[in-house]
Amino acid sequence: METGLTTNLHLLTPEFALTALAFLVFTVDLFLPERSKEWLAGLSVVSLVAVMVVALVMRPAGSVELYGGLIVVDDFGLFFKIFFLGIGVGIIALSWEYARDRLQHRGEFYGLLLFSILGMNLLAMSRELLTAYISLELLSFSLYVMVAYGLREARSNEAGIKYIIIGALSSAIMLYGLSNIYAALGTTYFVGISEELASPAAASPVLWIGVALLVVGLGFKLSAVPFHMWAPDAYEGAPLPVTAYLAIGSKAAAFALTLRLFAEAIIPAVNLWGEWQLVIAVLAAITMLLGNLVALAQRNLKRLMAYSSIGHVGYALAGVAVLGSDFALAAKGVIFYLVVYAVTNLVVFAGITAYYNREGKDDIADLAGLADRQPFTAAAIAIGLFSLAGLPIFAGFTAKFYLFAAVADGGMLWLAGVAIFTSLVSLYYYLQVMRQMYIESPAHDTHNAAAHQAHDEHDDIHQHAVHDEPPAPPMPRPSWLLAGTMGVGLLVVTWLGVYPRPLLGLIEMASKAIVPLG
Amino acid sequence: MPLAFLIPVFSFVACPLIILFQRWLPGRGAPLAILAIGGGFVVWALATIGFLGASPDNPACDVSAITGALTCHFSTDWFTAGVPGNEITDVIHLDWGILIDPLTIVLLGLITFVALGVQLYSLEYMKGDPRFGWYYAWQALFVAAMLTLALADNFLLLYIAWELVGLCSYLLIGFWFEQPGPREAAKKAFVVTRIGDVGLLVGILLLWLNVGSFSMTDAFAAVAAGELSNGVITAVAILLLLGAMGKSAQFPFHVWLPDAMEGPTPVSALIHAATMVIAGVYLVARAYPIFAASPEALLIIAIIGIITALGAATIALVSTDLKRILAYSTVSHLGLMMLSLGAGGWIAAVFHLMAHGFAKALLFLGAGSVMHGVGAHGDVDIRRVGGLRRAMPLTATAFSIGALSLGGIPILSGFWSKDEILLSVSHHLPAIFIVLAFLTAFLSALYMARAMFVVFFGSEGEDSHHAHESPILMTGVLAVLAVLAVGFGWIAFNWPGAFGGFGSFVFYDHAEGFHFNPLIAGLSVLLAVAAFALAWLVYVRRGWSHESLRARFAPVLRVVENRYYVDETYQWVIDRVVLTVSAALAFFDRAVVNDVGINGPGDVVRRVGVALRLHVTGHVYSYALVVALGVIALAIFWWLRSA
Repeated sequence: METGLTTNLHLLTPEFALTALAFLVFTVDLFLPERSKEWLAGLSVVSLVAVMVVALVMRPAGSVELYGGLIVVDDFGLFFKIFFLGIGVGIIALSWEYARDRLQHRGEFYGLLLFSILGMNLLAMSRELLTAYISLELLSFSLYVMVAYGLREARSNEAGIKYIIIGALSSAIMLYGLSNIYAALGTTYFVGISEELASPAAASPVLWIGVALLVVGLGFKLSAVPFHMWAPDAYEGAPLPVTAYLAIGSKAAAFALTLRLFAEAIIPAVNLWGEWQLVIAVLAAITMLLGNLVALAQRNLKRLMAYSSIGHVGYALAGVAVLGSDFALAAKGVIFYLVVYAVTNLVVFAGITAYYNREGKDDIADLAGLADRQPFTAAAIAIGLFSLAGLPIFAGFTAKFYLFAAVADGGMLWLAGVAIFTSLVSLYYYLQVMRQMYIESPAHDTHNAAAHQAHDEHDDIHQHAVHDEPPAPPMPRPSWLLAGTMGVGLLVVTWLGVYPRPLLGLIEMASKAIVPLG
Repeated sequence: MPLAFLIPVFSFVACPLIILFQRWLPGRGAPLAILAIGGGFVVWALATIGFLGASPDNPACDVSAITGALTCHFSTDWFTAGVPGNEITDVIHLDWGILIDPLTIVLLGLITFVALGVQLYSLEYMKGDPRFGWYYAWQALFVAAMLTLALADNFLLLYIAWELVGLCSYLLIGFWFEQPGPREAAKKAFVVTRIGDVGLLVGILLLWLNVGSFSMTDAFAAVAAGELSNGVITAVAILLLLGAMGKSAQFPFHVWLPDAMEGPTPVSALIHAATMVIAGVYLVARAYPIFAASPEALLIIAIIGIITALGAATIALVSTDLKRILAYSTVSHLGLMMLSLGAGGWIAAVFHLMAHGFAKALLFLGAGSVMHGVGAHGDVDIRRVGGLRRAMPLTATAFSIGALSLGGIPILSGFWSKDEILLSVSHHLPAIFIVLAFLTAFLSALYMARAMFVVFFGSEGEDSHHAHESPILMTGVLAVLAVLAVGFGWIAFNWPGAFGGFGSFVFYDHAEGFHFNPLIAGLSVLLAVAAFALAWLVYVRRGWSHESLRARFAPVLRVVENRYYVDETYQWVIDRVVLTVSAALAFFDRAVVNDVGINGPGDVVRRVGVALRLHVTGHVYSYALVVALGVIALAIFWWLRSA
């Protein structure tokens, strides 16, 4: 534990490199002419991959603490770092065409993305509440800006404002919670908290309020019910790639923190576990129920995906609720679920983006007849949704199987029952989307003026307008980048659904690093 | 050898690639499929060399205590879930892996070789088809599934492959789904084999319940160790047999196979020679330790085998469609293989499987060549063609070789394998079986002779005026297969050198050399020659009018020509029994299950969702209010609990 501030500092090379690269992107952006800003996307991808390689090469044996225990470099952090960097690559692939056609200041967009990834990486490594809080804020601030990136769209601005107000509120709540915990226990280190909690004397109203506030703060980041209400508005208003990033990245990061916090600070205090578990389980249950039920009534695709992601958060939270009974099993279930959820959502969002880039619409009914017009995009969305619903042979099934088995094994059969019931409900609204794509025929007024304006500078649109005739106007192909993202994503989704063993091995290795000592 | 798993993987990968990219691939993806199966063939050859050089010292290989054969096993963890000892989520552990023993080796050789030939042949035969790419995609998947089936080291993987084979047969038989014939035939094949598949699934699950593992090795070891009661073994054996009967078209499930010729002819060749139908025989051969432990099951196999063999042979004799004759011939020969397995003639059955496979691929591709030559699509009525040997000499020669081989004319492959079967039947089963088996052998020679003489010899028929020889690619494949139909049987012998004969390589329990019983061999030669002579007399010399023969046997003929009314019986049962029951069930399903059971709760859930939607008002202050309420609720909860 006795380490100086600079000991082992080289282990943070990936993070320093990421910071430097983010600044580099900002700087290069100043000098690049407007038409060659696409290069910044390439630069960002290359740097993300490079950081990934560096992180892998510098993997230490065992875990090494830095800054006197504020931050730890271990397999758990490494796994999530690689995961986040991978998400970053996927999001850039999703954004490239969208940013080119619809966003201004796109150099800063990529820079902000890199900063948010830095925040996520630090989040997965922090072992102290304030460090975690700072990392979370780094992530959140980048996201506030990115959500409001559609400068000229009222929806985007509204989403940004709502997100930042509720976000500030939750940050305040969380900080207040931290201060209460510090007041009650005298420490903010995870290890210290677990030691203090173990003694019965620690129980006090101040502590309860502190922990409740902390859970609320996390619940906001995870968009768990009842702290979810910002999510549908933010998802709907944000530019599509940012919606995808909100759904995938920020969720995964918040779960990384939750897992480490529970494993290292809370679970070791087993005598208090019963109540914590019940609270998380109830939160999980209402999150699953509300998210999936309200999704049934949605008409906008992004809103649908928002509620769907709330439902999925509920599933993962159910896994968190049973972390105390068989940690290895539950952690494996949750992490595997996060990875699968990320990859699958990436596929779905790539499909939706491919559609949106061409047509500029995002209502479910707009997808009518997509299967005839763009069979591959439709198939990618359909398979992604099938996977999200948890149907074999896709990854969603395997992930749900492991997760729900862990929940049932932890003695919470009722929670597993809720999870299975709500999965069933989710199939209904996913199938609604597929019904539009495969059964309904496209409406005749597919192209409204807004779509044309939005496409103004785009070459394809001129060909497109010529064909603007019923019955099924052909649609230009998705860009190779998006098609490739969908293709690779589908391969991974199928592969993880059929043969998850290799990835599970890595996850087991990662979760071993944070296994509670209690 | 550990890389043998690549054999099916190539084709598995080729299938989706062709489906997705056929528009851009050269030759609509056909070369890719051929490359994949060619690669499979090469890997097979390498694996075979590796296997021949392997010894029990190899860590992956072992001389099996049960089959007595050198067996190499490569597997990896596929799926593990659950917690040991937990009631709700006990451990489920699945492996996937491959098992290589002599049976696998020879079977893979047959499949890859015939499939390669068929796919090359199809380049010409399917040329210009609007769904050319799809054809090759399904071909690749079909072959991949069959190869997986032959390699699988556990029953679960085998079952997956088994179902994939069924699916692909459906897709390929119904390839020309615009026409009603293929459509109906595809449905029939799928449904009929599915009945057997259910048996197989139940059998596998029953085995799993009693052994606790899907692994074949574990299952056989448990059987050998006497861990299972006789009743269970017999039940499992009969259930597995049901699956085998469905796929291998044994009576009473044989009805789908003759209709399956509605698919493209190369597909028929593949189904009849190297995939699908041999799956059933393979299953029985592979799971023989289970069958061998149950004398009752063996007897049932033998009885079903002989009924199928004899019944199908008689139908083949009176059919007038060339492909239908060949189809019933396949059914009959599959019956002979089953009979042989039931009689304990394991080697003979596998040997006949191979010999018949090459000969039948040759015959079907020959028939396809005839159809190509006379421009027929669908049926070739043998009464309307004739004397084709002048227009299509190569096809005629190849087809005749196949016919002679299958008819059991000495020194050709079919003779040796059929002889072995007769021998094992005479040793191990009651006398009635050998009498009927000889009768089948005679009929088999007779119908092959009839098909050969009528189509290629004798006078020209009305459809054969414009006949022309097929392209070199097609005849080339025929030539290669013809060489095998002649020479394959010779590997039964103990040639000079290290090779001890087929039976010393592929065997069950103990190696055997080639047996030769002059009495049996003499009698079978006599019968075969007599059959060919008789056919020549009737159809070429016309010394004996077949019209008068027909008149004399009219009542019998009517029964046989109607295929013993098996189809009609099924139709009657379906119309009167099945549909009545289904109608009642459908009503229950619609009124009770659907309207009340599904739509009721469904509506409730949807309405709840619509109502709940309203809680998101869009006003930020209401969001903040809910958050605050949540905080208070949590804090109060913990406070109360800790008080």
